[in-house]
Amino acid sequence: MKRFNKLLSEDVIGYCFALPALLFMLFFVGYPILSNLALSFMDVNVMTFSNKVREFVGLVNYIELLKEPILSISFFNTLLFAAACIVFQFILGFALALLFNQKFPLAKPMRGFLIISWMIPITITALIFKFMFSLDGIINEALKFLHIISVPIEWLIHPVTAMLSIMIANIWIGIPFNMILLSTGLSTIPNDIYESANIDGAGSVQKFLFITLPMLKPAINSVLVLGFIYTCKVFDLVYVMTQGGPVNATEMLSTYSYRLSFNEFSFSRGAAVANIMFIFLFIIGLGYLKLIKEDEVM
Amino acid sequence: MKKSISLLLVLFLIFGFLAGCGQSTDNSSSAGTNKNEQTDSGKDDTSAAKTKIAFWYYWDGKNQQEYVTELTQKFNESQNEVEMVSQYVPFADYKKQLSIGLAASNLPDVAVIDNPDHASYAAMGLFADINDRLRDWADKEQYFPGPMKSATYDGKTYGIPMTSNCLALFYNEEMLTKAGATPPETWDELREAAAKLTGNGTTGFAFSAVKGEEGVFGFIPFLLSTGATVDSPGSPEAVKSFDFLLGLVEDGSMSKEVINWTQADVLKQFMAGKVAMMLNGPWQIPLLEQDAPDLKWNVAKIPKDKDFTSVLGGENIGIVNGNNVDSAVKFLKYMGSAEVVRETAVKLGMFPPRKDVAADKIWTDDPVMKVFMDEMQYAQPRGPHPKWPEISNTLSTSLQEVLTGVKAPQAAAKDAQASVDKIKE
Repeated sequence: MKRFNKLLSEDVIGYCFALPALLFMLFFVGYPILSNLALSFMDVNVMTFSNKVREFVGLVNYIELLKEPILSISFFNTLLFAAACIVFQFILGFALALLFNQKFPLAKPMRGFLIISWMIPITITALIFKFMFSLDGIINEALKFLHIISVPIEWLIHPVTAMLSIMIANIWIGIPFNMILLSTGLSTIPNDIYESANIDGAGSVQKFLFITLPMLKPAINSVLVLGFIYTCKVFDLVYVMTQGGPVNATEMLSTYSYRLSFNEFSFSRGAAVANIMFIFLFIIGLGYLKLIKEDEVM
Repeated sequence: MKKSISLLLVLFLIFGFLAGCGQSTDNSSSAGTNKNEQTDSGKDDTSAAKTKIAFWYYWDGKNQQEYVTELTQKFNESQNEVEMVSQYVPFADYKKQLSIGLAASNLPDVAVIDNPDHASYAAMGLFADINDRLRDWADKEQYFPGPMKSATYDGKTYGIPMTSNCLALFYNEEMLTKAGATPPETWDELREAAAKLTGNGTTGFAFSAVKGEEGVFGFIPFLLSTGATVDSPGSPEAVKSFDFLLGLVEDGSMSKEVINWTQADVLKQFMAGKVAMMLNGPWQIPLLEQDAPDLKWNVAKIPKDKDFTSVLGGENIGIVNGNNVDSAVKFLKYMGSAEVVRETAVKLGMFPPRKDVAADKIWTDDPVMKVFMDEMQYAQPRGPHPKWPEISNTLSTSLQEVLTGVKAPQAAAKDAQASVDKIKE
């Protein structure tokens, strides 16, 4: 009996707890990834779909895609979009987290209200922003009223401003996500540290740089990496606001993959684009894991 | 002891999870059957022997869905061999659901399909070839050739057209009178009238040039009117159509924003008096009458360059390959009967694809309907080609390139030709 108990060491118990999640992941995450990978090495499109035997074509789909300018355009767009959104979301989210960490009346309810932009279904946010960014939308009207512009800006019509518009919309959506995670991190920093720093005569800038930032490092890491991955996966916002247009100015890997698979029926190529995106995000995820490990060693 | 308890808990968790899993899959797969049971209750005993078949459609709106329910009910009562169950699938998800269903063998027996997609799905093996089964069906002769062609692929019949529609020019009568313009018949007249009507926050003309099929739908009448075809977007004729549309934008007579406007958006602009003339379809008329009852509007044929043209829209119904093809053909013939075609066209704000039904007073006596019926003669189907979606994407991209000024018409046309040639290889 003692032996049996020993077998049930914490390791085994731990694995048992992880087992349901593991099975779930294998079935609902592992299987689709593998079958998607297999699909991308075959030739399945509108003409070959009904063939009984799926022809194995190796890397042909990937090579053909690399020849298409749209792939590099959408890859670059995704990267630019994610990077720009993360920078602004993080800075603004951090600022708000610091603000609401101060004790002032209504701080908590106001922080709660800010969550709304994260809670609204993205389709609705996208529609609202589409209206606001139209030629005679509220943004152009406001800018005209303030005499900043005299001719309305072609927000969603011009390739550069269209990208800017969906970035602005996405930043607005993402700020609360950053704010809440960082707020939680801030609340875990014990007050005594700040008090002793006060006694040592540290100024507020010094306290921020040498106490807040280092203590928040784990939270900051996870916010940045998770935020980056979430942002790379953007789909509905783009689909509703611009459909990837004008021309291909806002085409993302996700919308391109969707268009290939479900609009043009080029299932294998759509799968290949999805895999390219997966590999890219996988590398970033590995980097994140490594960061966490380093932190734990410290 | 504590540990054994926790082990027990873990086991419960695992089984709970597995059981939960099993249940959820059960639920999803029986969603359809539940519906069957509902329709069954209240029926006599013979229904047990009926073959059950499922019908997918995407006509949205409460009235439309009530109409389909009524239609299937009538069919189920009219005979005692087949029991039809209808299911609504939203249009935005429709193609995706069919493709997924095709991969997972989870499909209806009869499906409504947007006519430019019919050939693609036929090529993918979704639809059954019913050439032989329709051979002795006399009603087949009544169909207009254009719509019928959209249901064929490689010389075989994969379904029948159910409803048809096309685009025409809507114009704001008051604005035209005020500006001293008459409904334009040619491109030159259109350009001139549009310029006259522009001003005070109103643009003269608009059509949906949004990215995707909807924008291509509006562009095709312009492309074909010059004598170009969808296979020759690089021809001088095609360049002319790009030039013309760009000219409208450069004149200020058409807002650049049309590249983001769906047909519904264009309608809203027209109703708000911000657009004086627009290309749109007959399905907008009920909305126009309901939301802008004071607006005085009329329709005319789409102005021409060389020939009058329009683009054929509408839905076909196809029978899905499977065990129930024979039962499904019975439903198909019912849907294709003159009475049902007539009723459906009226209820959905569309046009009948049958000659005998189209001769009905509803379409010949009403001045607005008459214009659309006239336009139907010139309406060209898109494709039918299994790779139509790719061709359509190419046309959509070049249209957007031209209207936003990213590429000059000549260059955009040349690139479009290269893509189309590659697709057709």
